[in-house]
Amino acid sequence: MSIETVLQSIFTATFLASVIRVSTPIILPAMGGLISELAGVINIALEGIMLASAFFGVIVSALAPGWIPGLPIWAYAGMGAVAGILAGLILAWLIAFFHLELGADIILAALGINILAAGGTVFMMFAITGDKGSTSTLASPALPNVQVPFVNDVPVLGILLNAENFSGYNVMTYAAFILTIVVWIFLYRTPLGTHLRAVGENPDAAASVGINVKRVQYMALLMSGFLAALGGLNLSMGYLTIFQNNMTAGRGFIALAVIYLGNRHPFGTLLAALLFGAATSLGAQLGTLNIPSQLIEMLPPLVTIIALVVYNLRRRARATVNERKFQERAAG
Amino acid sequence: MSLIEMRNITKVYPNGVAANQTVDFSIDRGEIHALVGENGAGKSTLMKILYGLEQPTSGEIYLDEKAVQIDSPHHAIDLGIGMVHQNFMLVPSFTIAQNVVLGREPRSGMSRFVDTQEAIRITESLAANYSLDVDATATVESAPVGMRQRVEILKTLYRGADLLILDEPTAVLTPQETDDLFDAVRRLVDQGKTVIFITHKLIEVKEISQRVTVMRHGKVMGRVRTADVSEEDIARMMVGRDVFLQIDKPPQQRGPALAQIQNLGYVSETGQPMLRNVTLDVYAGEVLGIAGVEGNGQTELAEVLSGLKQATTGNILVEGQSIVAADARGVRRAGVGHIPEDRLTNGVALEADIADNLVVDRYYRPPFTNGGRLSPRRIRTEATALIAEFDIRAAGDDSPLGSLSGGNMQKVIVARELSADPKLLIAAQPTRGVDIGASEFVRGQLVQQRNEGKAVLLISADLAEVMSLSDRIAVMYKGEIVAIFSNSREGGNPALTEQELGLYMLGLKRQETLP
Amino acid sequence: MMRTSFWSELVRIGAVVSVALGIGFLITCFVSEEPVAAFRELLTGPFPKISFADGFQVKGMNRFGDWIAESITLVLLGLAIAIVFRARQFSLGADGQLLLGALAAGIVSLFVDASIWIHIPLALVAAMIAGFLWGLIPGLLKAYIGVDEIVSTLMLNVIALQLYQLLLTQWLRDPTAGFVGTENFPVTAVLPVIVPKTRITIALFLALLAVVAIWFLLTRTPLGYEIRIVGANLRFAEYGGINTKWVIAVSMALSGALAGLTGAYLAMGLLKKLTLNLSPGIGFEGIVVALLARNRPFGVLIAGLFYGYLRTGAQIMERSSDVTREVVMVIQAVIILLITAERLFPLFQEWRKRRSDALIVTDLAGGEGA
Repeated sequence: MSIETVLQSIFTATFLASVIRVSTPIILPAMGGLISELAGVINIALEGIMLASAFFGVIVSALAPGWIPGLPIWAYAGMGAVAGILAGLILAWLIAFFHLELGADIILAALGINILAAGGTVFMMFAITGDKGSTSTLASPALPNVQVPFVNDVPVLGILLNAENFSGYNVMTYAAFILTIVVWIFLYRTPLGTHLRAVGENPDAAASVGINVKRVQYMALLMSGFLAALGGLNLSMGYLTIFQNNMTAGRGFIALAVIYLGNRHPFGTLLAALLFGAATSLGAQLGTLNIPSQLIEMLPPLVTIIALVVYNLRRRARATVNERKFQERAAG
Repeated sequence: MSLIEMRNITKVYPNGVAANQTVDFSIDRGEIHALVGENGAGKSTLMKILYGLEQPTSGEIYLDEKAVQIDSPHHAIDLGIGMVHQNFMLVPSFTIAQNVVLGREPRSGMSRFVDTQEAIRITESLAANYSLDVDATATVESAPVGMRQRVEILKTLYRGADLLILDEPTAVLTPQETDDLFDAVRRLVDQGKTVIFITHKLIEVKEISQRVTVMRHGKVMGRVRTADVSEEDIARMMVGRDVFLQIDKPPQQRGPALAQIQNLGYVSETGQPMLRNVTLDVYAGEVLGIAGVEGNGQTELAEVLSGLKQATTGNILVEGQSIVAADARGVRRAGVGHIPEDRLTNGVALEADIADNLVVDRYYRPPFTNGGRLSPRRIRTEATALIAEFDIRAAGDDSPLGSLSGGNMQKVIVARELSADPKLLIAAQPTRGVDIGASEFVRGQLVQQRNEGKAVLLISADLAEVMSLSDRIAVMYKGEIVAIFSNSREGGNPALTEQELGLYMLGLKRQETLP
Repeated sequence: MMRTSFWSELVRIGAVVSVALGIGFLITCFVSEEPVAAFRELLTGPFPKISFADGFQVKGMNRFGDWIAESITLVLLGLAIAIVFRARQFSLGADGQLLLGALAAGIVSLFVDASIWIHIPLALVAAMIAGFLWGLIPGLLKAYIGVDEIVSTLMLNVIALQLYQLLLTQWLRDPTAGFVGTENFPVTAVLPVIVPKTRITIALFLALLAVVAIWFLLTRTPLGYEIRIVGANLRFAEYGGINTKWVIAVSMALSGALAGLTGAYLAMGLLKKLTLNLSPGIGFEGIVVALLARNRPFGVLIAGLFYGYLRTGAQIMERSSDVTREVVMVIQAVIILLITAERLFPLFQEWRKRRSDALIVTDLAGGEGA
């Protein structure tokens, strides 16, 4: 394969479709992390929450037919989804409780939750299936794909909106994009979202106007748990219908980087997440050119670090500029 | 008709400090009332009580002649009382309109969304009504300080305040912005509002207020109509000798100038010039006291001299060696010691033990470190000696510093700084928050340094302390030295009075040329 | 945060560990047919069994060896974390520094020909240098530019992982192996075993040396003093004249060096080669060890041994029962949550006081009425 062929294959709708698909489990936890970060309670347990929700989604949806037989498959899938979301909410609540009520450091508490999820999922998986690697012995359903009607015959758009083989993306993918907009509306158009951003930026100012800072931070953490849980469900009940040990593979931490790379704004975060997804997809493509995928995968985290450096340098430059400006004013 | 009447208000804090003692305060509707006093006079406490941030130990409050209990700021807001604090409570990245309506955002129609347009409209109409010029769509962080203050005022108006309490509002304003503020206040009153103006700037009191209440040491010294008094009268009420501090000092034996400060200037990060053209000499064998109301540059002077902040212009010489560009360690090496104003932040590490706190300036030198090796034993020996010498009450040199009382913490700091044998000792608010016994001890130590031929720079908001310890007194006002006096009673010099100093401290007088 | 007395700290840690073990036992009961037997294996498995049946016999030495071998990893990582946490820097980069240390050690092991007396020290030093540099980067970024160390170290972990996997698959890979990994290291680059029939290598001495060295650093050197004071109050350190920026950078670099050394140990002492999946996430376990040890070097030794014991016990339990070893991770998580809940102990004391006050009141009331 030559460079031209690879380049050609990148600038196709097919490639973009794969990027969209691959980015979904990054976008969702990133939105959750964004909300908690903007409220001043950064949640670094997105990884653990995704793992837990992925696990419970599979387990409950696989075992539910044994509890309540006779329902259609989508009902069991739905029960699994509910279970996964609950798992995420509970873990997020634990972080909130330990940090806001018991004074635990939020980073350390979240680390504890990560370890709890990593160990707990394997522990329970073994207890239920006897297998420590995956739930391959269980038959677990997937959450449905959604097809956008009427567009399949439209070039480019058809693939873009309905994935490579026109069968539609997993519902979570559409959810990811829709939720990005919802999160934006929430943060910038609703009173609660505005209060949340105020709490994160200046909790004293928020408290002085009667905003209950603790309550807002509780809610922010719960919301982050909810969104991260959706990301986890996408992993184990999307294109894969299985739970594997450590299947999140660091996406929860990538989600954190994506928030900063995206300048802590929903749309920037979305773009940054797509960038990371593109790197992963690109890595696969360039494998045919004998360019190792690892080089490509190194780029987004490198870009993130550079972005942070630039941001901090600019912040310092602005301060010195202010000082100089007023020096001139004072002298003159 | 009286809007607010506070009767017999007493506030005693758990640590025994009586911030307000049987204070009577009243204000009529439509008045601009100035509440003046030095730092620690009790005016902030009184207003905190009125705003519900504190509860009085005893006394009553009447609003429109009906007794009320103000339990919280929200209750105060409901009663129509609004307060504009010295530290603005604004969200920098939000627009001005968003900040004004924060917490009570207008909704659009039946939906749950914030009606941004309505917020802008409300802000602009309030601004127009009261002539408080703001750019409703600009972000707070891009707005100048004067505008930010107007935002705070708009916030109170949005919440229906009829009585506005402004706490030291001109502290951060330029002269032009101050004029704008006064215009705004007058217009507010024209529209039926009432304003309490907390300040210590007497020129402003004369300019803006109709009546003045003067407080000192927790009591009300006088309540007068502004037109009936002069600035000197007010100053005399504010600054008076209640506490008689006498410290025995042998006559001064002054040596050469150990420290020379030349044309020192400092601009803060927010762009404010905090020090302007400060020139001072500190001689061996003298205590040079810096008198002044807090916020006139004393903090910055200490920080720049000790190397914590870099001067913008000017030079500092210690025994002829320039230290203006030196960092904290370089300044210490040149022989400068610093008892910091904010001891918890700068002066000690609460979690470290006493011994570690005592050697932070010398741990890297022999005998504590030899050939790269630190000797805890020698540190502890030193610590034990210092604890004994300076009478520090502690369980042991390995006790955590956080277990000490404020006075003993200050003794640790004094022990450390003095045992370094500095040529110039900077003591900033050395007895603030310190009990009587430790205060006496600290003052005695400062005098002893002076007797041994060191140069001591004493910065204190406690005028009695400055006057009893200093051989010379320099007065700082708005970042400048406005006067330097000799404080010795020898040679037939008339004694310097606190009232006289007060006039200089409050900007009413200044020496044309400095001696 | 007041430093409470040594004994009350010890009581608190003891209480937390007991509760965590209790919860671990509880969940074991839910999944196991014989929870008591399983938990007994967990708690006693790693101990060698001494019997006098046929003369003096010591059985289970290899289990004991596993305990020590595991503990060495945890002690080294715990020391790495303890240094940065002492300086109050939240560097989470141990994972990446460990990988690059292993990589450096692997390269020296595979491509250098030397006698064992040179080969091993060279490889270890290479690993420490690699880790040092990888820790210096976020240290400098934080100290001189103000870049938050949490995100930067997490990103550097990702980059390190990619670099490691890249070099492993493209350059160092042994094509004859069935899995992705290097050839076995030459015998001159493998840490020699010191206790026969176990996996205890000279790394034991390394770990003990490291504990003493870090203790010495923190208590007997000026840099150690600076690290402690910077961690206690940064502004006080600046006021006293300490070059805090440099201290922050160096503390993260030293932490990296220790993490790199740990990587070398994994490669040269346990695996004797490099593989694709070199213990992911183990960096975070170092945090647990450091937390439990309150960042004190000798505490790390004990906490490391304790965790190593639990991990080995869990492996033994897994082999001999129906409970999987991950229960230890649940116990770890509970320990972290409870230890870091600062207000838990004071709240508990308050609750006890209120209860006893209430009891006194009812006592009095009862007395009055009687």
